[in-house]
Amino acid sequence: MEVSGSVTTARDMGLVGCTRCYSVSSRGTAHCPRCGSALQSRDRLSLQKVWAWWLVGLMCYIPANLYPMLETRTLVSVQSDTIVGGAVDLARHGNWGVAAIILVASVLIPVVKFVIVAGLALGVWLGPKVPEGQRHFWYEIVEYIGRWSMIDVFVVAILSSLVQLQALASITPGRASLFFALSVIFTMLAAKSFDSRLIWDTGQSDIASNRRTPAVDVKGDLSA
Amino acid sequence: MTSDSQHPPTPPIKKGDQTLFQRVTIVWIVPLIAVVAVLAIAAQAYFDRGPLITVSFENASGIQPGTTELRYRDVTVGLVEDVSFADGLDRVLVAIRIDKDVAPYVDASSQFWVVRPQVTAQGVSGLNTVLSGVYIESLWDNTPDGVTYEFSGLPDAPLEKAGQDGLRITLRASGKATLTQNAPILYRGITVGRLGKTKIAQDGSAAEAEALIFKPHDRLISSATRFWDASGFSFSLGQNGAALDFSSLASLVSGGVTFETMVSGGEAVDPGDSFVVHPDESTARSSIFARDDSENLTISAVFDENVEGLATDAAVELNGLRIGRVSALNGLVDPEAFGDTQVRLIVTLSISPGRLGLAGKASTEAALDFLRQRVEQGLRARLTTASILTGGLKVELIDVPDASAAELETGDSGALYIPTTQSDIADVSATAQGVFERINALPVEEVMAQAINLMDNANTLITNEDLRNVPQTLNGLLGDARGLVTSDDVQTLPARLNDVVADLQDTLTRLNDAQTVERLTDAVDSATEAAEGVTTAVSGVPDLIERLNAVAAKAETVEIDRLANDLSALLTTTETLLASDAAAELPTKLNSALSELSAVLAQLREGGVVENATNALASASQAADTVAEAGRDLPDLIKQAQGVLARANSTLEGYEASNGLGRDARTALIEVQKAAKAVASLARAIERNPNSLLTGR
Repeated sequence: MEVSGSVTTARDMGLVGCTRCYSVSSRGTAHCPRCGSALQSRDRLSLQKVWAWWLVGLMCYIPANLYPMLETRTLVSVQSDTIVGGAVDLARHGNWGVAAIILVASVLIPVVKFVIVAGLALGVWLGPKVPEGQRHFWYEIVEYIGRWSMIDVFVVAILSSLVQLQALASITPGRASLFFALSVIFTMLAAKSFDSRLIWDTGQSDIASNRRTPAVDVKGDLSA
Repeated sequence: MTSDSQHPPTPPIKKGDQTLFQRVTIVWIVPLIAVVAVLAIAAQAYFDRGPLITVSFENASGIQPGTTELRYRDVTVGLVEDVSFADGLDRVLVAIRIDKDVAPYVDASSQFWVVRPQVTAQGVSGLNTVLSGVYIESLWDNTPDGVTYEFSGLPDAPLEKAGQDGLRITLRASGKATLTQNAPILYRGITVGRLGKTKIAQDGSAAEAEALIFKPHDRLISSATRFWDASGFSFSLGQNGAALDFSSLASLVSGGVTFETMVSGGEAVDPGDSFVVHPDESTARSSIFARDDSENLTISAVFDENVEGLATDAAVELNGLRIGRVSALNGLVDPEAFGDTQVRLIVTLSISPGRLGLAGKASTEAALDFLRQRVEQGLRARLTTASILTGGLKVELIDVPDASAAELETGDSGALYIPTTQSDIADVSATAQGVFERINALPVEEVMAQAINLMDNANTLITNEDLRNVPQTLNGLLGDARGLVTSDDVQTLPARLNDVVADLQDTLTRLNDAQTVERLTDAVDSATEAAEGVTTAVSGVPDLIERLNAVAAKAETVEIDRLANDLSALLTTTETLLASDAAAELPTKLNSALSELSAVLAQLREGGVVENATNALASASQAADTVAEAGRDLPDLIKQAQGVLARANSTLEGYEASNGLGRDARTALIEVQKAAKAVASLARAIERNPNSLLTGR
């Protein structure tokens, strides 16, 4: 998705799109005439929301790595592993593939998400260093892989519900699994909160994502 | 949107001023809550955190930091945080974070021990720790006395467990009683207490163990209570049959102590009081009337002689009165004290003060004073014979006249040593020697030799050929007799004698009739002839006997079973012979012949024919001599025959009486057997009871 430097946005054309039904209205329309939802050319508080979710997601990610993810009780031992510790353990036993999957799903992807979301927000806030098209590409990646981060939580949930053999062996989710799930949820919310339209505003001189544009700024042509 | 473009819709007017909610998103609340929550939790955790105590153990087997729990009454009240070494690496320090609410109770009285799985004869304990790992159990009292931070852990679980208070006493094993660690204390089969760790008493004389009688049952214990060892079993065989006795299978395996309050009126027991554990119930019962061991005076005596025969429970006597017993025996090698490495016998004497008969209270102090005084006057301990038969020894306290000065010495460990004197064991050996000498002097060997001789003789007699040949000889004899009787010579003998007598008679008659010398001479000649005939007949007798011998030899080959038939035949023949008229007439005829001869001779004397008469007389004399000779032989012969007949008769009688010689022989053999048996039993009796040779019984 290579886009040339100068892009004419709907906002430039005095239009506003409905984020729900994608119908286009003229700038200044308060509610979408088709679906009735509130129309906003740009979400003014988008970056705030992103940072808030991002922050709490990061806070949750710290205990998710410190506390044990799984507690495996067998007849003779109790083993509790953190995410990284478990992966290292697996790798030490030769299960490189599984260890890699765990590391990618539980460490690499969340960390990349944090970085991308933070980068996108910073790019909008401080001015871009990367072309808009590329940024939008990253945004879509974050949107796409966000749901797959839950794979760890699913694994824990499935294991702990399957392996319940009383005293012989049982697997219970550790505290980290809750924090990990929260972290995933919050980063997804952070990505969701990001108004991707802001990406395209940064290329222009008058952009100020959080700068309010006068409601009466655009008149006239309202054809959708 | 409307199509009326003339009047564009009024754009929404927004206020210039925006509220806080419009400028700041509400989402910020979420991280704010998160931060507050984290801070709150951290603060709570910090303020709820209990103190960190340190318990030192011998080793830290199974203790894992962060996993091993501290429990009180099986509730987790702490967690091991760290395991490290004490200075010098001789102890392991376990740092335990205890809960804040129990912290005030963790005072100096607290006890800590590690609960591990244990498999003992008493059962399996701590099985849960096999799966969960060990944990540290703790015990403290119920009064909060402030936190103490340094503790020393116990190697084993203490006697008391949480919720199991009770009376704590000390049990001492007496004699063969055994104390098993952690063994139950049973009362009528119910576990009412537990033995603690067993150890050797300080003086080394007995094993002892702490014991705990659990709370509701401690009222069963009084000073009149006696304990005995309930482990093992006893087997007795008596008038009532066999009896196998054991308290319970559990105590049979694991050991145990049981007790009973034998008599009423016991006093209450203070914690820490000591009781004796008796080997069995009967000993315990009998001990009720004896004073307790613990109230006895214990003194020791070192004997230079290390002799066999002294055993624990041997009597200790003073002037013949039993005042105590030997409670322990040990060897002693002390080169410093005695100057050599000879093994000496150290005997621990347990003396009952009550038996000394002291006036006033029979306390150990009084007994000690008494003994001290007597020792200064020359009282010494010595070993002496308790029983000559068993060789058992006892310890006797005697007054030794002119004894060198000595006193009760106090040893290093506080033990009292009574001086000893020369033991009286020589008497034992002398007596034993005398006994043995007397036994030696007994003529056992001679008696045995005579007995052997007797048996040899009996044997010789029984195996004698002559004795064995008796039936055969008898057989032969009977055969001889039969041959003799049936021989023709004997049969014809009466007939020929008859002829002789008839001839004589005829001659005499003719002499009478003719009254002539010639006829007389003829008569005398005839008489001479007759006499010669008789002589001839008689001279055939040896030949006859030879033939008889041959018959006898032949008869010897005759089998025994034919003997009866032969004897029957013999009987018949004999009867026939005796029944013959000739035999019957024989004496009569001889008689008449002789009387007639006598008459002839008388007539001749009266006739006066001297020469002829003289000749005739000489002839007659000759004839008479011959007849006399024949007559002399004849009685022998007849006597022989009669003897044979008599013997045959008695043999026949024997036959008739018992149906055969075999039975007689058997009877004879049986008699001989009996005699042999009697000899054999005599030999056995002597072997069994040599004394009988001495006593005659």
